[in-house]
Amino acid sequence: MATEVYESSPRHDLVGGCVWTAFGCLIVALSWQMDRMTQQGATLHTAPGLWPGIVGACLAALGGILVLRSWRRAQRIGWDAAEADDTDYAPMSGFALAAGMFFVYALLLVGRGLPFWLGSALFVSAFVFLFQHARRKAAGQVVRGIVVALACGVLTSLAVTYVFEQLFYVRLP
Amino acid sequence: MFDGLIAFGHSIWSFCDPMSLGLVLLSSLVGVIIGALPGLTATMGVALMTTLTIKMPSNQALLVLVCTYVGAIYGGSRSAILLNIPGTPASAASCLDGYALAKQGLAGRAMGIATSGSVLGTLIGMFFLALFTPILGNLALKFGAYEFFWLALFGVIVAGTLTGNDPLKGWIAGLVGIFTAAIGQEAIYAYDRFSFGSRDLAGGFQLVPALVGAFGFAELLVAVREKAAPVKINPFDSVIPKLKDVTQYWRTILRSGVIGTFIGILPGVGEDVAAWSSYAAAKRVSKEKEKFGKGSIDGLMAAETGDNACVPGAVIPVLTLAVPGSAPAAVLMAAMLIHGVRPGPMIMIEAPTFVYDVVAMMMFATIGILIYGLTLTQLLIKVLMVPKPIILPIIFVLCVVGSYAISQRLFDVWVMMGFGVLGYALRRLKYPVAPLVLGMVLGDLMEKGFRRGLVLSDGELGPFFTRPISAVLWVTIVLVILLKFPIVGRALGRLRGRAAPRAG
Repeated sequence: MATEVYESSPRHDLVGGCVWTAFGCLIVALSWQMDRMTQQGATLHTAPGLWPGIVGACLAALGGILVLRSWRRAQRIGWDAAEADDTDYAPMSGFALAAGMFFVYALLLVGRGLPFWLGSALFVSAFVFLFQHARRKAAGQVVRGIVVALACGVLTSLAVTYVFEQLFYVRLP
Repeated sequence: MFDGLIAFGHSIWSFCDPMSLGLVLLSSLVGVIIGALPGLTATMGVALMTTLTIKMPSNQALLVLVCTYVGAIYGGSRSAILLNIPGTPASAASCLDGYALAKQGLAGRAMGIATSGSVLGTLIGMFFLALFTPILGNLALKFGAYEFFWLALFGVIVAGTLTGNDPLKGWIAGLVGIFTAAIGQEAIYAYDRFSFGSRDLAGGFQLVPALVGAFGFAELLVAVREKAAPVKINPFDSVIPKLKDVTQYWRTILRSGVIGTFIGILPGVGEDVAAWSSYAAAKRVSKEKEKFGKGSIDGLMAAETGDNACVPGAVIPVLTLAVPGSAPAAVLMAAMLIHGVRPGPMIMIEAPTFVYDVVAMMMFATIGILIYGLTLTQLLIKVLMVPKPIILPIIFVLCVVGSYAISQRLFDVWVMMGFGVLGYALRRLKYPVAPLVLGMVLGDLMEKGFRRGLVLSDGELGPFFTRPISAVLWVTIVLVILLKFPIVGRALGRLRGRAAPRAG
């Protein structure tokens, strides 16, 4: 008998289905509370909340179907059965560091008074240095790593500033 | 017929100045490099170039975007062949036979096949673009609010059905996209929906920052999460395409070109489905089925012709119906609107020559990829060798600049980040992202069609179902959905089983 497995486990699908159902219901509730604009002559079919309400209801319904499907699948194959994931993942700490740096750059370094070129140079240099540090250290090239990181940061920020602002007249944050 | 040819000639001539030709070379190069770098997609490339070209004259800006688009879809084949990593999702099918050929020391020949397939595929798609756009444009004039509602819904449903492995998740992603399009002021009473007092949210989400997030930032997060595969380039022979490969596989080229163009016309489906469908069709009719996946020239030619033919195909519904045929085409459509071109049914009346301008842009893009296909190998290999920790922060800086530049609002940078996180979460949970984008692009058209239709019919739902084109569209939608239900599939299987012995 062929083993029945899917891309994601029934447990993941159950959680996803519950989230979509709840989100859909929230959309319906918020749409219901919207002004019907009857004072401006709106009818049921022109009320601002009608369309998002329908979309929310459909989302809730599909979320419900996902919940039911995951339940039925779990009865047959168990809650955690899924296709083997052969992706070679990097350590979670590295991912968290990179994601944190992306957010710090986009939300704090850009558009908050720091010149764009400086913020970008700092971000790129720090990113290159941190993510190449282990390899550089093992090869005894820490100083070279710092120089490469600084060069990447400065060149990137100068190139982006020149191309966008001087060449194509696009304003930078 | 001759009017079209004359207009096409005028369009070609209009781009024959040093500036435009220089832009063709530059943007094709950028496209090929973006496509070749794993993790950077054509959608992201076109979105980033949209912001860079925002101050350029519209025709030159769109020329840059078309060349980037075509270049990126072609460029993906390089990393597929050399590294066994598809540069863009469209090149995933090329990995199977391209890398197998590379392991046999035939990477140069494989790249030559990819070049000839891509060039001929784009030319076939270009031919259909010139042929079908006026015809479809005339048909689109018969579309009213009801038809546009169903057409937009058809796009989201088809994208949800075909772009992932689980249609239910595809439809959910599509609905989330439609919902995001409903955020902000609605069209009839200017009522702020889901803005919670925020003036930025009341303006709604702009398409380019959202797409840069969903395709750019999300891909960066995926790239950070996964370990970089060691880059090992196999030795390769000459990259000059061989005439024999073209003449021997002309049937494959024609078939894949037609399949690719047709899939391009289907709203939101895109190049990866075109490549896989062309590959599957070639395998089905091939006399050398056993070679597929082990270095089949037929297979590689089919995949490369199919995905590049899809590019002009995806532009056909953009021009005639304002419905994008793929995710990069959605960005291209947004760029057209930014540059004051109004794609849609009126285009053959308001700007008939623009259609031929786009055909000419495709032709110049084809020349661009041919030039780089023959010359760029060593430089591309050097680019592919650049370590990920250097590429990723540079791309992220471009994502931030790209999302900010359109309206100079920091809010758009946050939108990019938000959609990036959403896109990453959806990918991790095995939801396709293309329907989300289609939902965002088509949500507005769908709502307008729905509400206008209800106003016109005074609340009656009948015209949505009884008008001829509407009827065809909704019946097709119902069939597409029903065919994905296991119970219907099983019933059809039983019917086929009964029919087979009778036929036998």
